[in-house]
Amino acid sequence: MNKDDRERIIAPEHTLRADKYPLEDYSAIGRRGVRRKDGYEKATGYAVYTTDVQLPGQLMLRILTCPYPHARIKSMDTSKAAALPGVRALLRYDDPELPERADVSGHFGGGTEGHEPVLNRVGYWQGMPMAVAVAADTEDIANEALGLVEIDWEERPFNLDQEEALKPGAPLSNPESFPDGNFVIPAQQREAKVVWGNPDEGFKEADRIIEWRMRKDKENWVGPERPNGLFRWNGEYPEVWLKHQRPHLSKRQIARFFKIPVSQVTVHCLYQGGTFGGWSQMALNMQPNMIAGILSKRTGKPVKWQFTRREDFCGAGMDNARYQVKVGFKNDGVITAVAATSCFARKGFAHLGHFVENTRVHHLLQESNGAVLNIMPGSAFRCEQNMNALCLGAVLNRVAEALEMDPTEVALKNDGVEGRPMADLADLKRAHGFGGDRDSLKECIEVGKKAIEWGGKWHLPGTKRLPNGKLHGMGFTFTHEWSDSSGSGALGMRIERDDGSARILAQRCDNGCAAETAYCQIAADELGFRYEDVHYRQFEEAGFTTMTPDSSTNLTVNGYAIRNAARQLRQKILEIATTPRIPERPDMGYYPPFPDYKPEDLDIKDGVVYVKKDPSKRMTMAELVRPAFFMGKMDIGSTEPLFAWGWQNQQGAFMGTPGPRPIFVRQAHFVEVEVDPETGDIEVTKVVNANDVGKAVNPEGVEGQQYGGSVMGISRARAEDTIYCPATGVVLNGNLIDYKINTMLDCGPIDTIIIETGMGYGPYGSVGIGEDVATVLPSAYYAAVHNAIGAWVDMPTTPDRVLKALGRL
Amino acid sequence: MKNFAHINARSLDEAVTALQRYGKRAAIIAGGTDLLGKMKDEILPAYPEALVNIKTIPGLNLIEEKKGTLSIGALTRLEDIAIDARIIDGYPALAEAARRTASTHLREMGTIGGNICQDIRCWYYRNQNNRFACLRKGGGRCYAIDGDNRYHSIFGGSVEQGCYAVHPSDTAPALIALDATIKTSRRSIKAEDFFQVSVAKTTVLDDDEIVTEIQIPKPAGTSAFVKFALRKAIDFPIVNCAAMVTVSKKKVTAARICLNAVYVKPYRATAAEDAMKGKAINEANAEAAGAAAVSGARPMPYNAYMVQIAKTMVKRAILGCA
Repeated sequence: MNKDDRERIIAPEHTLRADKYPLEDYSAIGRRGVRRKDGYEKATGYAVYTTDVQLPGQLMLRILTCPYPHARIKSMDTSKAAALPGVRALLRYDDPELPERADVSGHFGGGTEGHEPVLNRVGYWQGMPMAVAVAADTEDIANEALGLVEIDWEERPFNLDQEEALKPGAPLSNPESFPDGNFVIPAQQREAKVVWGNPDEGFKEADRIIEWRMRKDKENWVGPERPNGLFRWNGEYPEVWLKHQRPHLSKRQIARFFKIPVSQVTVHCLYQGGTFGGWSQMALNMQPNMIAGILSKRTGKPVKWQFTRREDFCGAGMDNARYQVKVGFKNDGVITAVAATSCFARKGFAHLGHFVENTRVHHLLQESNGAVLNIMPGSAFRCEQNMNALCLGAVLNRVAEALEMDPTEVALKNDGVEGRPMADLADLKRAHGFGGDRDSLKECIEVGKKAIEWGGKWHLPGTKRLPNGKLHGMGFTFTHEWSDSSGSGALGMRIERDDGSARILAQRCDNGCAAETAYCQIAADELGFRYEDVHYRQFEEAGFTTMTPDSSTNLTVNGYAIRNAARQLRQKILEIATTPRIPERPDMGYYPPFPDYKPEDLDIKDGVVYVKKDPSKRMTMAELVRPAFFMGKMDIGSTEPLFAWGWQNQQGAFMGTPGPRPIFVRQAHFVEVEVDPETGDIEVTKVVNANDVGKAVNPEGVEGQQYGGSVMGISRARAEDTIYCPATGVVLNGNLIDYKINTMLDCGPIDTIIIETGMGYGPYGSVGIGEDVATVLPSAYYAAVHNAIGAWVDMPTTPDRVLKALGRL
Repeated sequence: MKNFAHINARSLDEAVTALQRYGKRAAIIAGGTDLLGKMKDEILPAYPEALVNIKTIPGLNLIEEKKGTLSIGALTRLEDIAIDARIIDGYPALAEAARRTASTHLREMGTIGGNICQDIRCWYYRNQNNRFACLRKGGGRCYAIDGDNRYHSIFGGSVEQGCYAVHPSDTAPALIALDATIKTSRRSIKAEDFFQVSVAKTTVLDDDEIVTEIQIPKPAGTSAFVKFALRKAIDFPIVNCAAMVTVSKKKVTAARICLNAVYVKPYRATAAEDAMKGKAINEANAEAAGAAAVSGARPMPYNAYMVQIAKTMVKRAILGCA
């Protein structure tokens, strides 16, 4: 094997350049109408989710949640609860077995999130699980027991609003961990202030400068499957069923927590029931699992826990933020500088990153302030890039408004990478292995405009009233298409002895639409098999790390791993097919079909191995690998097992990390709305998504993400907000009636367009789509509402805000 | 959910007897779409000890039109009302109100009797695990007054003590506009007298009294129902409105207009009715009637927008009768 072969087969592809080894012909990849591998199970209800798992003798665990936004327990009497028949174990905050603080954060596995008491004596937000946990025969008994716990609370003053919390004299939100004040550098930022280029210079270059304030309120993740888990001890070692996107990291956390070797922890990861990043990101994510582990050990029984929907609503929300934005620009629409100060509730995601990644704007100032509050912690779901996308979309559309320009023109004027205009980047594209001739944003805008009839419909803001009396608006935004987080994937692949089919062995990775199906499509083409002969077999124990550490990438990492495994396996098949025969024992063992050929003389297509020069010499895979008769009695395998493994290590693309990848693929979104000026109602009449996904491995999966992302995107922009009572600090709309998640009916027709420029860094030039649409679309909606009424309305655009903007209140 | 007795009543008498036996510790169940949610969320201080199931009583699921009166059995499901051709043609406000109620699944379960007997809507009252001991639960205060009241009353609190919750039924205003009569196991009550503003109850029914039938006279005029909600697939109203308007020689001779979700009980907009009398149904007159309807509004700090919407709903309901 020479160096090139070795690199081709074994070494992970370099993720900072284009795919070097795309296929010449695609058969399964990109094909429509392939049967989804998980389709039957999910459609019939046979798919098993963590919540479905029941073990004999299991106890149900319930944890007290804080009824106040900020309160300390003065004293607690659990004797009545412990005495209730059916209660098997109870754990208090002062239990000697509990460490003072532990890593229960879930997301970072002890990284940037601080360690917390497992059961805190102080509650820092309403709904925080704390103080006492009960394991009982039934959930009702456990609940009843919690009701019998007598607590003398010391209610403390609280903060619900970051700007109020940062004013002098505001009460401390968390005096135990933040005794010096409520200000923090947001957890997601290394520094409060980040500068690119020279913003002062940029503003000097500008013909005009505009400034404004805007806000985005706190939405909730609402996964269909509520947070739950199941923990049991098999003697000394635990077995855990986790609903989690990163079970391999949680496995390490469990080992550390219980001080046992990782190798002795068994973690099962089943179907996910819709994660959207949510639950796995939450602050106390691993808390119930650790408590279940302690109480399972004490009782000798499996312990299951599941939060109620309301508790789930109090767990974590997407960070709300206030922004002060200042933009300098030329009269032709070229933006010269952007400075934006944000005020977050502690977490604080980046908000100007997308200017670096896909504009020519090279003077930027990003300042992030954070405040510790007494509301649920900030989390990342539907992707934390929402803040970045919102700022980019708002700047683009505000500049267009100020210049009375079409925002699609402003976008094209500013498209670029790391401060360089896209028009000058053909060489850079080529340096990264891409063709260099295609312009992704231009293509996205062109097809998107056509689909929504932009040419005939777009108008200056606030200038079109329809015959039905409603105000008509058209909105647009763009950004890059991303799948850029670092991570690695590993998996196995084997050939079934009897029928010659292939099986991918990997941990279940139920993120996104049709991921496992897409893996099988890749394997089929790389092996030369029919798609129908490639299967995904869940390797249930968390070991193969097919979920990248922050779950933001899936196919673009695992697709490479699949390909690496498939290419090795294909090579093995051909080597076995061409093994020389053993003349003295023709009756025994394996009888190689092509003894006189070399592997390179053969090819595999549709599951048939044949001689390239003489295709009449052929054999099906089933014939090739069939069991041989041995001594006339037994079916045995008489060749080595046909197995291979693949892995892929992807370097991250975040700016400021080593080896950023300039991103050339773009997405553009268009939204049409009608605003009822008498009620403030906004009807979305059309959505167009134009996504350059590089190469669509599973087109229906891509479209699934576009449809789902559109509904989520409209919903978060139009309606979603977690509402706290200003007087009591309690979540008021923690249920699916009062939390106004929008549905398909609220979204209008959705036109999904797939563009394939091949300029992604994933296999075959692909790039991810899972996080993109729901994250970016809100900016297009925001712009459409403005285009309709001529005033900017913060999201969610509830009727009261719209009526106020219209001067009706 | 805790255990409770479940009594399948075979007749009205049997149901009444069971209710008398348990007193305030019993609840009536038909479709159960409101009651079971309340029980699961544990919003009340105490669980009912017994549920008296009236679905097993024969003869309460019917739609009949005779001698100029439409009779709808209390157990008739909302979906059956929404799709009944006689109701769509003759009583469009009611058909539309039923059609806009909740979601298809809930309409297939929920009954018209249950819809008018449902409990009030308030996210303090309905906060899970009985989090707020508010006026309706024997506590001393209405939390909505100092809290977030974006979905609360714009016409003040209940008379006695000041509960600012709203009545969320979609069919109730339609029945009031259509001048329906509610028949119970004991008496007949005009729809507009059926609801009450007490903090203890939403209707005038006694604890052992059961709605059996709704009777609607043949409308003299045309009727319409409009609803403003934040979602199309399923939602309670922010504001809804039903109107029945009789026109003679292009002038309104009689009007019955009722808003809901704006007050502790359905709010008959008599000022709007008066404003329309003798006038033609047109944009300007309907607009003026809408303004009249909300002239007595006293919005809370978070719900002034509901006044604007209520005004619009009245206007559109009137125009819908043209």
